[in-house]
Amino acid sequence: MNIFLKDIDSERFVTWDYLINDINNTSIYNPFCKSADYYTVFKHIILSLLLNEEVILLDSDFTHSELINLTGHSKYEKFIKPCENGKLPTLTNKKGLIEKLSTPSEHWKMTLFTSGTTGIPKKVSHDFKSITRFVKVSERNEKSIWGFAYNPTHMAGIQVFFQALLNGNTIIRLFGLSTKVIHNEIKYNGITHISATPTFYRLLLPYDESFPSLERITSGGEKFNEKTFKKVCEMFPNAKITNVYASTEAGTLFASQTDIFILPKKYENLIRFENDELLIHSKLMGRTETNISEWYRTGDLIEIVSKIPLTFRFLSRKSEMINVGGYKVNPLEVEEAILSLTGIKNVRVYSKSNSVLGNIICCEVVTNSSQITESFIRSSLQSKVQEFKIPRMIRIVDEISTTRTGKLKRI
Amino acid sequence: MNIKMNEKVLEIINTVLENRTKKKLISIMPEMHLRNDVGFDSLDLAELTVRIEAEYDIDIFEDGIVSVVGEIFKKLENR
Repeated sequence: MNIFLKDIDSERFVTWDYLINDINNTSIYNPFCKSADYYTVFKHIILSLLLNEEVILLDSDFTHSELINLTGHSKYEKFIKPCENGKLPTLTNKKGLIEKLSTPSEHWKMTLFTSGTTGIPKKVSHDFKSITRFVKVSERNEKSIWGFAYNPTHMAGIQVFFQALLNGNTIIRLFGLSTKVIHNEIKYNGITHISATPTFYRLLLPYDESFPSLERITSGGEKFNEKTFKKVCEMFPNAKITNVYASTEAGTLFASQTDIFILPKKYENLIRFENDELLIHSKLMGRTETNISEWYRTGDLIEIVSKIPLTFRFLSRKSEMINVGGYKVNPLEVEEAILSLTGIKNVRVYSKSNSVLGNIICCEVVTNSSQITESFIRSSLQSKVQEFKIPRMIRIVDEISTTRTGKLKRI
Repeated sequence: MNIKMNEKVLEIINTVLENRTKKKLISIMPEMHLRNDVGFDSLDLAELTVRIEAEYDIDIFEDGIVSVVGEIFKKLENR
């Protein structure tokens, strides 16, 4: 059977034929997509491409206030519209669908949201070319079976989706499942490809048996420590391991077998280093509302390894964004949310390194009421920000520690 | 196994559960699985590590292999 998606968590087992039939029977479209169901998100993206309409992907766990902040709305039913007559082609088979999807109009765009550097998440729009920059369609890839290990509304997940979709592959959901279930899914479905964060691989340990079906493992979003890397190699003995550098703003830019990246020739005039920071030319970027300058400062610091050919390695982030298991958290956004609670006088959000997630969000708060407790702050934040942004250690203090310049100090 | 240590680890696990508005446990057994039985996700495991480290000064996830409660006890006993 020709499977498009298996999602054991929602008991979805969708064939390509079912997907085609489902699309042929669709009569309405809404550019906003907010769903925890992987199939709904994937079908929505496919529909947007066939209809040549914008698709706006919202995380399923965005809170009411986050939605209002980002889109000006929290309910999206009013944006539903009928599909224009004849605009949605009648599909007969998988080959026909993939052919249609491979040649979309230049006007199609996908909009995602990323943690901005100013405290408010920002909107980034991509065209088909920038989203599929790293997609490789070939006969060799036709039989790939993808383990889907990212959030489907985030850039990394979108890229895996397009790689699998345009090659007509099967997608097996792995994200958000327990370790044991993930092991079983890899084994019983014979998964050949996984792209995930080092945190995802780290949490697959320990394992009882290795997984020889894996041909390729891609890792990105944060640094792999050597110990985990070694164990992952043992767990997937036949897999070639690739590191990628990608961002919501630019998509995937570099790939390497080690932690050293070579600057591809085609990017020679589109990538620059300034005070060891990576700068990307606007030609490689998605469109953002604040995208006005020619060069985008990534905030990622690099170290040049050799000059000819130009090779480099990523060291750390210049900006204050905190990487929690591959999710970027802006401490300013979290501070704003905490300060909006009653009884809070001051707050400092900072990161602490952590062996499970790389980093963990912590904070100090000054309150004006003895009633304010750690669990009160945490439960109040649940309706304001996404779960991964909520501090996991909250210290109630009399005074916030500041740096010598008087700025709030982040560790 | 040290009863005091068992109680302290239970208290820490319950703090993590309570902070996520999840149901607290009455007792813990060494064979209980942190993800499948206790119901921890990766964020909870990260918090557990930090809280145990603050109490016992040991990073239980340092070598990346802790899946059941008994393994925490072992790490704390071998400190």
